[in-house]
Amino acid sequence: MSLGRTTRGVAAAVAALALGLASSAPARAADIKIGAMVPTSGSEAPYGIDMLNAIRMAADQINAKGGVLGEKISIIPGDDACDPQAAVNAASKLVSQGVTGVVGGYCSGATLPTLKIYGDAHVPFVITASNSTALIGANPGNAFMINSTGYDQVKTAVDLFKAKGIKTIAIINEGDAYSADLAKLTRAAWEKMGDKVVDYEVVSKGEQDFSAVVTKIRAAKPDAVFWTAYYADGALLLKQLRQGGYTGMIALGDGNNSPKLFQLAGPAANGVYCFSNPTANFLPSAKTFTEEYVKQFHQQPGPYSTLSYDGMMLMAHAIQVAGGPDKMKIIAALKATKDFKGVAGPISFTPQNTLARSNFVVLIGQGGKWALYTGPGAPKMP
Amino acid sequence: MSTTTAPAAARSPRGIALTAVVILAALGIPLVANSYQLEVLSEAWFYVLLCLGLNIVVGYAGLLDLGYAAFFAVGAYTAGLVTLKLGLSFWLSLPLAVIAASIAGVVIGGPTLRLRSDYLAIVTLGFGEMVRITVRNLSVTGGASGLVGISRPWLFGYKLNSIGSYYYIFLALALLAVVASHRLERSRIGRAWKYVRSDEDAARAMGINHATIKLSAYVMGAIFAAIGGCFYAAKMTAIAPETFTFNQSLLILLGVVLGGRGKIPGVILGAIVVVVAPELFRDIGSMRMLVFALSLLLIMLLRPAGIWPERWRWG
Amino acid sequence: MPLQEILLQQLANGLILGSFYALVALGYSMVYGVIKLLNFAHGDLYMVGAFAGFGCLSLFSGWLGAGWAGIVPSILLSMVAVGLLGVVIDRIAYRPLREAPKLSVLITALAVSMVLENTVLAFTGGQFTAFSTDLGFAGIDLGLVHVTYTQMVLVGTSIVLMVVLELFVSRTRYGRAMRAIAIDPDACRLMGIDVNRTIALTFFIGSALAAASGVLAGVYYGSINFFMGFLIGLKAFTAAVIGGIGNIPGAMLGGLLLGLLEAFGTQIPGIGGQWKDVFVFAFLILFLVFRPTGILGKPEVERM
Repeated sequence: MSLGRTTRGVAAAVAALALGLASSAPARAADIKIGAMVPTSGSEAPYGIDMLNAIRMAADQINAKGGVLGEKISIIPGDDACDPQAAVNAASKLVSQGVTGVVGGYCSGATLPTLKIYGDAHVPFVITASNSTALIGANPGNAFMINSTGYDQVKTAVDLFKAKGIKTIAIINEGDAYSADLAKLTRAAWEKMGDKVVDYEVVSKGEQDFSAVVTKIRAAKPDAVFWTAYYADGALLLKQLRQGGYTGMIALGDGNNSPKLFQLAGPAANGVYCFSNPTANFLPSAKTFTEEYVKQFHQQPGPYSTLSYDGMMLMAHAIQVAGGPDKMKIIAALKATKDFKGVAGPISFTPQNTLARSNFVVLIGQGGKWALYTGPGAPKMP
Repeated sequence: MSTTTAPAAARSPRGIALTAVVILAALGIPLVANSYQLEVLSEAWFYVLLCLGLNIVVGYAGLLDLGYAAFFAVGAYTAGLVTLKLGLSFWLSLPLAVIAASIAGVVIGGPTLRLRSDYLAIVTLGFGEMVRITVRNLSVTGGASGLVGISRPWLFGYKLNSIGSYYYIFLALALLAVVASHRLERSRIGRAWKYVRSDEDAARAMGINHATIKLSAYVMGAIFAAIGGCFYAAKMTAIAPETFTFNQSLLILLGVVLGGRGKIPGVILGAIVVVVAPELFRDIGSMRMLVFALSLLLIMLLRPAGIWPERWRWG
Repeated sequence: MPLQEILLQQLANGLILGSFYALVALGYSMVYGVIKLLNFAHGDLYMVGAFAGFGCLSLFSGWLGAGWAGIVPSILLSMVAVGLLGVVIDRIAYRPLREAPKLSVLITALAVSMVLENTVLAFTGGQFTAFSTDLGFAGIDLGLVHVTYTQMVLVGTSIVLMVVLELFVSRTRYGRAMRAIAIDPDACRLMGIDVNRTIALTFFIGSALAAASGVLAGVYYGSINFFMGFLIGLKAFTAAVIGGIGNIPGAMLGGLLLGLLEAFGTQIPGIGGQWKDVFVFAFLILFLVFRPTGILGKPEVERM
């Protein structure tokens, strides 16, 4: 091939790429565009798709009732792939597509660098899952976290352990920002009270065989094992813990509250505790949510589906209150949110835009599903 | 943008004119592009830098490296630690990152000198994973959450705060990397790299110290990535171990091989494709990586030596 | 738990995990041995195999039940299906690049891996699928360690497959052809060996083995998803290299050694789960420095 032809070919290819970048998805101009920033590719896709489903469902329900202020809501997904750079790209694309607001945010590490992008564009951002404490300081004021932070969860966990007379615990996380943060906070709180963490483990994401860790835990004999990562690997862990002969208490972090845990773990999940935002299954207010979700997507809602649904509903409510798509007014309306009735409980914000209350409850696995635990050490219901 | 393998293009008025037009266009883009396009193109220039760095190892010296993201991590974490933990100027992190990357380059290069290419693959892969797990486990590097709140640097009394400024920073870095690659390729050491690549035994017989030559390739590649890493940290203001996974290393290698390793314009093109193509497919939604993978497969089948390959036969 | 019991239990853990690694590493090593390709898509064939096995079992469990009676035919069918998939992949993606630079084929393999992962992602919506069977937890107590029948079948299957493969490669005409192609494909062509067919056969066997271990993993762990091949692909690659890549008994040894390293690495105080992978890779690198061709690999002059 002659050089001239190659050069021209390459120039054409570059031009085509550049042109492609310039075009964007056609959305009806009249719609209120809401970005849904969640991971829909890569290893975190299962969780992101659970969230996107719920956001879409909320938008469909709003539109079925005539939309917000007479305008339809259209959802524009932004795949952050749980990667900071991809998240930055997704966020700036959403901004350049003229979204009125953004709902989502799953991986804290990926959500973090997008705060500035939404902040600079004054786009209201309702964060529905990411709850790393690092987000609070980096928030320029336009982001609102409707998931309780790690501190609340640790307190719930420690209260339960104390009430159950637990003396020694083992903590296992997956080495990602969220589960490691929770594990670290728990260890600090537990050791501060003079109690012992007899084993502190990190496993690789996607590992299926926990037998070595299980043997180590059995040797260390903790009264309780606390798994701080997500349900998919958590199900395997607790199954192997039980099969390996561990009989003590097992507690799981809020990434495990999905009913899917029971499909994967089977009977091993019975009697297991889980700290959680109030999930849809047992809250009367959320019963219709779950039924609708299962009907539409033929599967149980994921750990953050409820909050994502609430996030979209809250955004629509704020637009309604603001009286139109004026972003500054929407941010002000979000800030002034007082006891917004979410499926997962009422939403109000602290001056730092985090959820004003701990929304954590304790769940217990019973007969293949989650039930609300109300015994000693359970927090008061919202 | 010229190489020894295409001197005619470099010296011809057309080649020079084309290069000038491309650079002028790149300089003018911020006048017309929105911030999303600038984000993506900044990332593309950043990948041009990384891919050209890896091209020294893979393209010129013919060594396989599956852990290149580790050097990128070394740079990013150096910048983060220097500004956050030591409270020093960002600019000081550049020489420190170069030193750290050189040490890392020797550490990874050292054990690999005797190894065949496939064993090289696993050693470099292992090294990359070790670096990632280490920064994940140490508390000084912020553990799994990484380092947050890295302050943005000042340049000539101007704070580098907008995407526009980072666009120009990364464009400048990419151009510097092109010039440096070009000079290196034609230097004495560049010829030695290629000699070792084509016939290590003959090169040794000619008195070339293959150990020094291979190590220098790793170190030089590491320096490119480390400098890029510093600016990445400044742009993102937050870095976490998840950025420096095996997948990241593969993506950079993908850019080099897809474009045409050993050839500067090819590598530039490959880097741009790797960044821009998945963005083009963003509107398809969850199928975008599938479409990207299929197009990748197609390109490799149609042009096995890369889109714009070097005129050297890779055996 | 006394130390002796802990160590014995970790030994058992390591051997079981290691036999998974070994089975996947075998295919990796075989393909490498014959066409010198690091098939990055191999781990994904394991994943596809698990899904194919799951599909078969869902069909069979109605009349054969979800015990071994249903599982064994599912494994066999999945092996055939994924074996054919491997042949198709070779035909479409690798054969046209037989004369191309090695690194280009490596990148093509990477693309194939992405295609497989994202296709399954699209079909399953990324959901984790429960792979439920009737296999219980019954077993026998060997001294202090409880070993379930399932675990014994697993390790047994792995060993049988490996022995059969080794015999196939060392004793049969096809095996001899494979080994000959590994040395000099051009000479083989002149000698009348159908090179492409032999390579296709290699892919079939390697992919079928990956599928077998994928279904076994699904049966054993009870959960499958589109991403499950990534980590094990990486581990199998490591195992194959430790053993001496291209060498079948080596891959087996490498897999078992890696499994043991991980199990005992977790148990060592100060290393634990947190530093386990660093420990494994550091061991690997040091090992390769002193024995650059793996446990059973032979020194060889080559260029990339």
